[in-house]
Amino acid sequence: MKNSHWFQVVGAAAVTVGMAVNAPVAMADGDADLLVVAKASDPQTLDPAQTMDNNDWTVTYPLYQRLVAYDVSEDGKGLTSVIGELASTWTASDDGTVWTFDLASGNAFSDGATVDAAAVEYSFNRLMDLGRGPSEAFPGGMKVEATGDMQVTFTLEQPFAPFLYTLANNGAGIVNPAVEGKGDDHGTEWLSANSAGSGAYMLTGWERGQSLVLEPNPNYGGATPEIEKIRVDIIAEAAARRLKLEAGDVHIAESLPVDQLDALGSKDGIEVQNYPSLKVTYLYLNNKVAPLDNVDVRRAISAAVDYQGIIDGILDGNGVQMHGPIPEGMWGQNKNATQYSYDLTSAKKALDVAGGASEEISFLYSDRDPLWEPIAIATQAYLSQLGLNVKLEKLANATMRERFDTGEFGIATGNWSPDFADPYMFTNYWFDSKRHGLAGNRSWYSNDKVDGLLQQAVVSSDTAERTALYGELQEIVTDEAAYVYLFQKDYRIAVRDDVEGFVFNPMLEDIFNFGGMSLSD
Amino acid sequence: MSFLNVIRRRLMFLILVLFGVTVITFTISNLIPGDPARMIAGDRATPEIVQNIREDLGLDKPLPIQYLRYLEGVVQGDFGNSIRTRRPVLEDLRIFFPATLELALTALFFATALGIPLGVASAVWKDKPIDHFVRVIAVTGISTPAFWLGLLVILLFYGNLGWLPSGGRIDPSLEMPTRVTGFLMIDSLLAGDLTAFGSALKHILLPAFTLGFVHLGVVARQVRAAMLEELQQDYIRTAKANGLSRFKVVFTEALPNAMIPSITVLGLALGDLLYGAVLTETVFAWPGMGAYVVNSIQALDFPAVMGFTVVVSLAYVLINLAVDLIYMAVDPRIREVS
Repeated sequence: MKNSHWFQVVGAAAVTVGMAVNAPVAMADGDADLLVVAKASDPQTLDPAQTMDNNDWTVTYPLYQRLVAYDVSEDGKGLTSVIGELASTWTASDDGTVWTFDLASGNAFSDGATVDAAAVEYSFNRLMDLGRGPSEAFPGGMKVEATGDMQVTFTLEQPFAPFLYTLANNGAGIVNPAVEGKGDDHGTEWLSANSAGSGAYMLTGWERGQSLVLEPNPNYGGATPEIEKIRVDIIAEAAARRLKLEAGDVHIAESLPVDQLDALGSKDGIEVQNYPSLKVTYLYLNNKVAPLDNVDVRRAISAAVDYQGIIDGILDGNGVQMHGPIPEGMWGQNKNATQYSYDLTSAKKALDVAGGASEEISFLYSDRDPLWEPIAIATQAYLSQLGLNVKLEKLANATMRERFDTGEFGIATGNWSPDFADPYMFTNYWFDSKRHGLAGNRSWYSNDKVDGLLQQAVVSSDTAERTALYGELQEIVTDEAAYVYLFQKDYRIAVRDDVEGFVFNPMLEDIFNFGGMSLSD
Repeated sequence: MSFLNVIRRRLMFLILVLFGVTVITFTISNLIPGDPARMIAGDRATPEIVQNIREDLGLDKPLPIQYLRYLEGVVQGDFGNSIRTRRPVLEDLRIFFPATLELALTALFFATALGIPLGVASAVWKDKPIDHFVRVIAVTGISTPAFWLGLLVILLFYGNLGWLPSGGRIDPSLEMPTRVTGFLMIDSLLAGDLTAFGSALKHILLPAFTLGFVHLGVVARQVRAAMLEELQQDYIRTAKANGLSRFKVVFTEALPNAMIPSITVLGLALGDLLYGAVLTETVFAWPGMGAYVVNSIQALDFPAVMGFTVVVSLAYVLINLAVDLIYMAVDPRIREVS
């Protein structure tokens, strides 16, 4: 009797498990209403006033609208120019300090509340009050005031030429003022895990470390999105992301390494898309420490690097050499500025002019970007041909950043992508002597003339004048080899071929225009 | 000493351990170069923004004051807010710890359920093919990197055969069962949701196998060694002389005694599995504490790292306490000595 009970229990358990395990499992492939994106890591916070990470912006950007948005060309390419999104029209005072925006009607937050001037005023005041990273893109002392139900006015203490473009930034997302009632500190804790925007989608679920779900905002003022559900799956391992893409369980796999992308290029049903990007990789040459404080040593280093060799060998050809600090695709680039190329003879000549360099040069890098280590090793080899003694130091990323900030390094490698579409991002940040360290001027470069050009360029509202100022600046800083300008790496992404309508914008890496995308049957 | 006295004494010891853990972790965290305020502010933030954040978080205060404030919070069950996620650390751990524990316990179950029979078999048939086979399994388990084995089983069971999912805890298209224990398999059964249970079971099989495989060999070898020793004992010879069947001699006489030293191995294995799950969690996109703590370390998220350390330390001490109590329960000699 006792034994028969056991058999019954075990038998029932086996049947239960068998039924459960054989239950059907929904797959993404074939479901035209569900788009699945595979990302490597969970967002940190979804509060637009707090997040500084493109990884978070994949989710936050489609949840919110901004006063302006990046335009799309007639042939479907993402542009760096802006058009109105929440704003229908705007005007700026002659001196560029007062900006008035009239809001379009018909936009609403996901709870049905109207997006009005009070909401815009609230969002910017919240952003500046919190004073976190995203607030840095906007000029200090900026005043925002609702000057009508649907009109808002920004008053700047002094002209800030890129101002209009900063409004397309993720941090400029307009937040429903109702978040104020969601706890202390402007509802930051609540908004870190919820959405309160007027974008095409709203957040409806977040299983931490596993997936986030977006569904259309029922009150969205624009065209109704075609895709009924977006799921962002968190899959840390690149090989697993690739396998899921191949199996049709995800439609878009982000952040795949070069070799995986190359392998996927030949698979049926998958497209590996390449886009020119504004993200650049460059070397910081610490202008304050010997021997790099000698301009001829920096010139020698710039001429000893095999740029094309790095692009071909490390990027598999998917990139282009930078031509000075302003990348291709951003207005203001000066093609007459010096572009160094691999020329060992002139490198040796420059080093001779400098009188040689016997000091050990530290080269910092971390594993934050898998390309940095091969770049460091290659650079060490290139510079050894000049007899330079380069010591590689692989550090934790946080430690490396600390060293940038204190200037305790010789050479280091880094990436940079713009927060708003203006050459300011590549000039004022990189060369202003007030921004030494992590804040942007990581080569600790100082030049009074350059500082003067930067100041003139930031207050001028005349694009032609700014182009000329930045043009002059580029000739100086490339001649003085403040940095080693390596490459612009292509943005590459693996997408299943049933995904339609994706528009890549070089200002919005890792961000998808979900509202305009669809899935073919 | 009674069970109650042992528990009382060990719990007092636990307070000291946790205090030591917080002191050491806090000190090490603050010795690491890097500024959490800068991590929050982002690279391009001005010094004023960074300073504001520093003041908001109390990072501008002297270290002893920062520590005392932290300790004051911990005593009241407040581990502070995560710098990275901006949410209470305890809330984050409440989500991630059960996932890791569920994976570790399932891996332990797998290692035990297979390791013990294999260990017994290799002892009974010493130097026979089964013994060699178990030795190969043990060596392979110990020497195979978890991430590599993980990728192999994903490739086989997901990529080629399509039998099992490649990662996650449950099919994301399914509704999560109401959270009761945080263990998805149990919560789905409590909710009477067989589909969710099946999905959770399918999702845990590969990571639990991968994680448990290392310990499978250890358990098998430990049981083998203990069984070989027991099988040489006089009482076994007496049992055989009295005509007990081979099955009974092995399973009712030798195995219970051989299992006593194995309890320690299993206790240690559970501790290892808890903090050793990081790589397995990464490969299988398992939303546990592994990824959470690795991301927190990279972001200099000290409150999260300290919360993790305290919880794992607590778990470790409690596992050891449980092992000692089980020892006392199963072995009267130890009870007497204690």
